[in-house]
Amino acid sequence: MTIANAPRAPARLPLPAGLSVAARQLSGVKILIPFVALVAVWWAIHAAGQFPERVLVSPARVWDTLVVLFSHGVLAEYISTSMSMIGIATAISLAIGVPIGFLVGSNRYAARGLEAFLRYLQGVSGIAWLPLVIIWFGFTHTTTLAVVIYTLVVPIIFNTMVGVRAVPEHYTLALRSLGASRMRLITDVYLPGALPSIVVGLRLGMGYGWRALIAAEMLVRQGGLGDLIFGARTSGQIDRIIGGMALIGALYIIVDRLLVQPLENLTIARWGVLRK
Amino acid sequence: MSVGTITAMSPTRRALGHLAWRLVPVAPFLIVLLIWIVLWDVFRPSQETLPPVRDVVLAIHELAVSGQLAQNVIASLGRLVLGSLLGIVTGVAAGFVVGLNRNAAEILNPLVVFFNAISGIVWLPLMITWIGIGTALAVFLIWNTVFFIVFQNTVLGVQLVPEVLEQGVRALGANRMETLRSVTLPGALPYILTGIRSGLGFGWRALIAAELVGAASGLGTMIFDAAEYHRSDIIISGCLIIGTIAIIMDRWLLLPIERRTVQRWGLVSDAEAGR
Repeated sequence: MTIANAPRAPARLPLPAGLSVAARQLSGVKILIPFVALVAVWWAIHAAGQFPERVLVSPARVWDTLVVLFSHGVLAEYISTSMSMIGIATAISLAIGVPIGFLVGSNRYAARGLEAFLRYLQGVSGIAWLPLVIIWFGFTHTTTLAVVIYTLVVPIIFNTMVGVRAVPEHYTLALRSLGASRMRLITDVYLPGALPSIVVGLRLGMGYGWRALIAAEMLVRQGGLGDLIFGARTSGQIDRIIGGMALIGALYIIVDRLLVQPLENLTIARWGVLRK
Repeated sequence: MSVGTITAMSPTRRALGHLAWRLVPVAPFLIVLLIWIVLWDVFRPSQETLPPVRDVVLAIHELAVSGQLAQNVIASLGRLVLGSLLGIVTGVAAGFVVGLNRNAAEILNPLVVFFNAISGIVWLPLMITWIGIGTALAVFLIWNTVFFIVFQNTVLGVQLVPEVLEQGVRALGANRMETLRSVTLPGALPYILTGIRSGLGFGWRALIAAELVGAASGLGTMIFDAAEYHRSDIIISGCLIIGTIAIIMDRWLLLPIERRTVQRWGLVSDAEAGR
């Protein structure tokens, strides 16, 4: 590896445009290699084992099922239910969590007081409250939303609080000695200072929230990808289960990597300097 | 923190402030309890919507006396320990293999990202059809959750051990095994322990979710069964117990271990530099 690299290294410096595109395509292919290998192994096991339909189906079958579900519009409905749920839950959680985090973070007694309580709430996963919430709201979307918001809002409050607490005191003192109002302090010091931490909380929360959403959908059974894979279990449709799992993973990665992570990098690049 | 203000206070006020500082974490719990009592007194909701505080306390007592509570807690904790042990052992082993080999890390990374995204509860339907309902199912889900967190932290820890230290020990004549044991393992240990700590937190959530559907005993089953009889006093008791166990596990067991390890091993490079 190292030996093979050595003579090539100088040639790399003036990289022609065409080559860099090729290199990028190569890295795209590289990501696919392990998945291709995985599917090949799965296919081989399926071909060698003669499994019954209810236990294992071929990758092609899963693909066909997804295509059929998609062309009937069913899949789009399941996906849009889950995605809108996580979207609504995230918006509500931010609207609730960030102001609370700010209020609590600006007072050190309040911050210390709430920390233990938030940790306790984090220990009781949202899904544990599900039976009670079902009694309250029945088998509805409200129930699912309540569970997901509960899961999402705790890390957002927590990280907002931590972010506000981490803003160095002399920044606020400096602005106040220059005569800034309390409002200016929030918009010019606390908000940009806490933003990187808030986004980290958002990303963490969405990771927890996505899992809580799938689990809640399995039990509430009112649409969504969790309902898709759990409903398929009763009728023994392994192809739907595996296809649904792949979709859940892919959607999470897309939202996390293409939406939340760039946002995180952007905020840290733009505001994170404040810490220095 | 603000030394100036504290020394300016009278001793009694300082003592009072100190006491308030110590007691303030209890306040939110008391506030929630108060809101609960007031809400119940004002609205008088039906027993199944919101039971009075007294009923929940009685339910906990009843569960504890009948031995049901101990039985369910032991069932849940047993699964957690079994699944986590499997997850930790496989996660650390795989983490070392991958962490020491950059090519393997690069090739496997996309798979790890993908399977991490579906770790835990997403496997529930597939695993129910494959291995049925029972302890094996819950143990698998916990293993699956704990594995990825421990694995990723171990890889990170192993990769972050400064190469200079490894080379130094090797230059003194240590073989590969000795280098691993005396440099890489202690160097990666703080990361591994962080992984174990957050892995157990995630595992505990996954376990409760798994028990709601896929088990015959345990705390998750207890609250889900209670829902069928609309016994919200048992549900709330269960949630309180779940949270208490999580806090005890994290604060009094894992956090001290992590702190001690970071103190002992986390400064390896500093100690080396100081010599």
